[in-house]
Amino acid sequence: MKTIGALAVLILVIAAGFVSAEEPSGLDVTVEEPSGLELIESVYYRPDGEDMQSRLTMTLVNSRGGTRVREIRQFMKDFGDVEKKVMFFESPADVRNTSFMNWSYTAVEQDDDQWIYLPALKKVKRISSDSKGDYFMGSDFTYDDLGDRHPTSDTHTVLGREDVNGEPCYVVESVPVEEEYIYGRTVSWIVEDKWVVVKKDFYDEDDELLKTLTVDEYGDIDGYWVVMHSTMHHVQREHTTIMALDDIQLDTGIPENKFTERMMARGL
Amino acid sequence: MHRFLTALTARPWLVFAAVIAVSAAFLVAARGNTRMETDLDKYMPKDHPAFIYSDEAEEWFDINDGIIIAIEHADGVYNPGTLSKVKDLTKELERHDLIGRGDVTSLYTVDNITGSEVGLDVRSFYSKVPESESEVEALRASVKANDMIHGRLVSADETVTLVIAELGDEAFSQEFYREILDLTAAYEGPEKLYVAGRPIVEGTMAYLAPKDMKRMVPIVLLIITAVLALVLRSPKSTFFTLLVVVLSTLWTFGLMAWLGIPIYAVSTMIPVMLIAIGVADGIHIYGHLGHYQRERPEASARDGASEMIRGMWKPVVMTSVTTAVGFVSLLTSDVYPIKYFGMFTAFGVMSAMILSLVLIPAAVVAFGLPGARRAKAKAKPEATDGIAATFGKGVMKYRGVIIAVTAIVVVVSVIGATKIWINSSFLEKFERDSDIVLTDAFINERFGGTSTLNVILESPDDGAMKRPDVLRLMDEMQTESEMLDEVGNSFGLADYLRRINKVMHADDPAFDTIPDSAELVAQYLLLYEMSGDPEMLWRTVDYDFARSNITLQLKGDDSKTINRAIQVVEEFRPRFEELGVNVNYAGSGYKGLIFTDLILKGQVKSLILSLGIIVVLLSLMFRRISAGLIGVIPITITAIVSFGVMGLLNIPLSTTTALISSIAVGVGIDYAVHFMERFRVAAKRTGDVFATIADAMHHSGRAIMFNAVVVIAGFLVLLFSAFPPNRALGALVSGNMFISLLGTVTIMVVVMVQTKFYFKK
Repeated sequence: MKTIGALAVLILVIAAGFVSAEEPSGLDVTVEEPSGLELIESVYYRPDGEDMQSRLTMTLVNSRGGTRVREIRQFMKDFGDVEKKVMFFESPADVRNTSFMNWSYTAVEQDDDQWIYLPALKKVKRISSDSKGDYFMGSDFTYDDLGDRHPTSDTHTVLGREDVNGEPCYVVESVPVEEEYIYGRTVSWIVEDKWVVVKKDFYDEDDELLKTLTVDEYGDIDGYWVVMHSTMHHVQREHTTIMALDDIQLDTGIPENKFTERMMARGL
Repeated sequence: MHRFLTALTARPWLVFAAVIAVSAAFLVAARGNTRMETDLDKYMPKDHPAFIYSDEAEEWFDINDGIIIAIEHADGVYNPGTLSKVKDLTKELERHDLIGRGDVTSLYTVDNITGSEVGLDVRSFYSKVPESESEVEALRASVKANDMIHGRLVSADETVTLVIAELGDEAFSQEFYREILDLTAAYEGPEKLYVAGRPIVEGTMAYLAPKDMKRMVPIVLLIITAVLALVLRSPKSTFFTLLVVVLSTLWTFGLMAWLGIPIYAVSTMIPVMLIAIGVADGIHIYGHLGHYQRERPEASARDGASEMIRGMWKPVVMTSVTTAVGFVSLLTSDVYPIKYFGMFTAFGVMSAMILSLVLIPAAVVAFGLPGARRAKAKAKPEATDGIAATFGKGVMKYRGVIIAVTAIVVVVSVIGATKIWINSSFLEKFERDSDIVLTDAFINERFGGTSTLNVILESPDDGAMKRPDVLRLMDEMQTESEMLDEVGNSFGLADYLRRINKVMHADDPAFDTIPDSAELVAQYLLLYEMSGDPEMLWRTVDYDFARSNITLQLKGDDSKTINRAIQVVEEFRPRFEELGVNVNYAGSGYKGLIFTDLILKGQVKSLILSLGIIVVLLSLMFRRISAGLIGVIPITITAIVSFGVMGLLNIPLSTTTALISSIAVGVGIDYAVHFMERFRVAAKRTGDVFATIADAMHHSGRAIMFNAVVVIAGFLVLLFSAFPPNRALGALVSGNMFISLLGTVTIMVVVMVQTKFYFKK
C-alpha cells in the first residue's frame, strides 16, 4: 500500500544520499541524520503490499485478569487515495459474521467512512463518529494507533538512537499539532532501515504514561516487513490488548468488490 | 492495697514526681504520633461477608462514589457561557491528581448516539462550545431527544446540569474538599454551583465531628469546674479533682498514640466521657473527707488522707472496675473504632481511679485539708434529720407508688422500644438547614438522586446477561423500582440495549425494547464497544456476561429509603432465581446499612454481657448474689427507658446513639455501688432499717446526687453542639444519668428493704 508515496520517499532518500555524498567537505557523512518527520514518513509509507488478508486474533485482558478473545478474518487493499479494510468476526459464536468496513482516506481532512453489518438484524448501517481518538472495537488501540494517523498531524523530533532487542533504532518524539488530542506526546522506537516501530510510549496531556506498545514479533513476508504480534498495555486503565496475525497473505489480488456492503452481508 | 496507698501519703512529693513523670512520658508519645482517621472505609470490618462481597463487586464494576457538582442557571443552561463553564470545569477536574481522566461525566464528556434510516451516529454533544443561537438550539434538541441524558445530566426544566467526578476509595480529604469548593466558587455567577455526593457528606462529617468536640471540651471543662466548685466548695479540691480527669485523658490519648492507633470519630467522645465520669471518684473521696472532718474537726491532714483511703478505696475501686467493665464489653463489637473506644475509655477510667487514690490524698497531705466546710460543720444536723433523711422516709412511705410507677414506666418504655428504628444515614447527622442538606435536597428534587444502591446479578453461566429473558426481567425490575418515590432513576445494561435497539431502528420508539435474540444483544454490544465508550459499558456488566450491576439512584441515604428499594428488588429474587440468576447488593449505602446493623447487634451483645459481668462482680464484692441482682436494677431500668424514649420520640438508633446504653451502664452502676456499700456499712452499725436508709441517703445519696449533677451538667453542654449527633448524645446521656440516680435512690432502696437486704440473718 501507499506505494506511490513510498516510492517517492525512496527516491528522495536515494537523492539525498547522492547529494550528501557529493558534498565537497564530506568528512562526516553521519551528520546527515534524517529528520523526525522523514523517519515517521518512512514508517508511514513503508511498502506493505497492494493488499493483504490475514486472521487477526484479538485478546483483551482487563485489570482483573478477565480475558476475551475475538477471531477476525480481515482483508485490506490500497487504492491510492483510499485504503479499504473489511473485517468479519469468526468468533465468539454469537457475533459470527458480524462485519465491519472502514475506508480511510489519504487526505488529512477527510474522515473515515465506516459500516457495520449485524447478521441478527440483517442490515448494514453506516457509523459516523467524530473522534479519531476512539478506541478500536473496545481494544486499547485507537484507529490512529493502527496506522491511520498522518505524519503531518504531529511535529516530530529525533531524540537519539537506542538499541531495542539488539536492533539499532531511532527514537522519535511526536507532539500533536492540534490541541485536545488524546495524547500529549508519543515516543517511537523505529528500527533503522526496516522502518518498523517496535516500541512506542504514549503520554497523556499531563505527560503521564498512558500506554505502552510492544511489538513482540515482526518478520519479512514476501519481501515486506509485517508486524505479526503486538501488545498494547493501557497503563492507566490496567487493560491490555494483544493483536496476533496469522495466515498472512500479501498481494493476492483481492477484488475491489470485496469492499462493498453486499459482500459484508454475505459473510465469510 | 490499702496499706500501700496509706504509705504513699507519707511521701506526697514523691507521688507528684511520679505522676508528672508518667504524664510527661505520655505527653511526648501523644505529641509525636497522634493521627486522626477520617477514611470511613477504615471503620468497616474488612472480613464481614457482606463487605467482602461489596468490595469485590465495586472492583468488578468500578463502582465509586461520585462528587456531584450542579450548575444552575435560572434562564436555562443552554447558553454559550454555561456550556463553556461545563467544559472548563470538566477539564479542570480531569486534571486533578485524585480524579482519573475518564472519571468525570458531564454533558461535555458523554456520547450522543443517534440513529437514522441509513446508520448510526456517535458523537459528543459538543467539543467546541456552540456560539450561535442555532447551534445552541440544536444541542438542546439533541439532549432532549436522548433520554439517557435528558433528566439525568440535565434537569427536566433545563435549568441545572451536573458534572460528576468519581473518586477512588482513599481519595477524600479535607484539603481536597476545600479545593473542590474553591474550584467551584471560581465558576459562580450568573450560574450557581452546588457540591454534593457521598464523599462530600462523609468527608464533612469526619471533619466536623472532631472539630465540634474540640470546641466542646473546654466548655465542658468550664461547666464542670463551676459545678465542682459549687459542690466541693473548695478551690483546692476542685483543682485536684479536675487535674485527675485531665491527666487521665492525657494518659489515654498518650497510650493510643504510643500503640499507634489513630483517633477515630467516635474516640473524640472520650475526653467528654472521661471528664464527666472521672470527677465522680474525686467527689466521693472528698465527700467522705467532709463527713470525717465534721465528725472529727480536730483531725490532721495525714489523718484525713488515711481516712479517705480507708473509707473510700473499696467503693472507688469497685465503681471504677464496674464502669470499666461497661466499656470493656464493647470489645465484643465487630467494629474496630468501637472496640478501641471501649478499650481506651476503660483505660482512662482506671487511670482516673489510680490518680484519685494516689494524687488526691497526697494533695491533702501536701497542701492541707480543704477548709471551707469546717465552720458550717457544727451547725449540720445529724443524719436522722434533714433532707436526705426526709427523702428516705418518703421512699419508705410510698413504696407501693414507687413500685407501680416503675412498672408503668418500664411497660411504656418497652412498648416505645419496639418502635425504635435504625438509621445508617450520614446526611441526617447534619442540620436540616445546613448547606450540605440543602444542596442534597436541591439535586434530589431535580435529578435521580444523590445516593445509590447497586444491585448485583450473578449467574454461573457465561453469557447469561445477554439472554433476552434475563434482560427483560432486569428492565422490569428497574421500571418497578423507579415507581417508588424514593428511587429517582436506575441504570443498567438493559438501558444500553433499549437505546441501541431504538437507534438501529431509526429512532423508532416502538423499538425502545430489549432485543429478541441473544445474538442480536451480543452484536449490539459489540457495536456499542466499537462506537461508544466501552468503559461505561463495563460498569454494568462483566467480561464474561455472567454478572451485571444495576444502579438505583435514591433520594436519601437513610435506612428506610434503602430498605424500600431492597424490598422491591427482593420481590424479583424468586423470578431471577428461576432464570439461574442470583441477586446481591453492593455500594457504600448498602455497606452503611450493614455497618449500622453490625454496630447495633454488637451493642445489644455487649450490653447484655456487661450486665452479666456486673452482676457477677457485685455478687463477689458484696459476697451475695442478691447484691448483684439488686445492683443492676437501676441501670437495667435506665437502658430500657433510654430505648423507650428513643422509640417514643422517634430518635433513630445510629452509630452515636447506640453507644449511649453502654455509657449509661458503666456510669450508672456507680450510684448503686456507692449506695449499697454505704447501706451495708450502716446496716452493720445501726441494725435498723430507717436509720440505715437515713444514713445511706445522707452520706452516699448526697454524693451520688452531686456526682449525677456534675455528669448531667457536663453532658448537657453538648446540647449547644453544632453537630446534631453530639446534641442527641448529650441529651440522652444526661437523661440516662438522671434515671439511674432516681432508680438508685427509689426503686433500688425499696427492693433492698423489701428483700431485707443486709438485715437477713
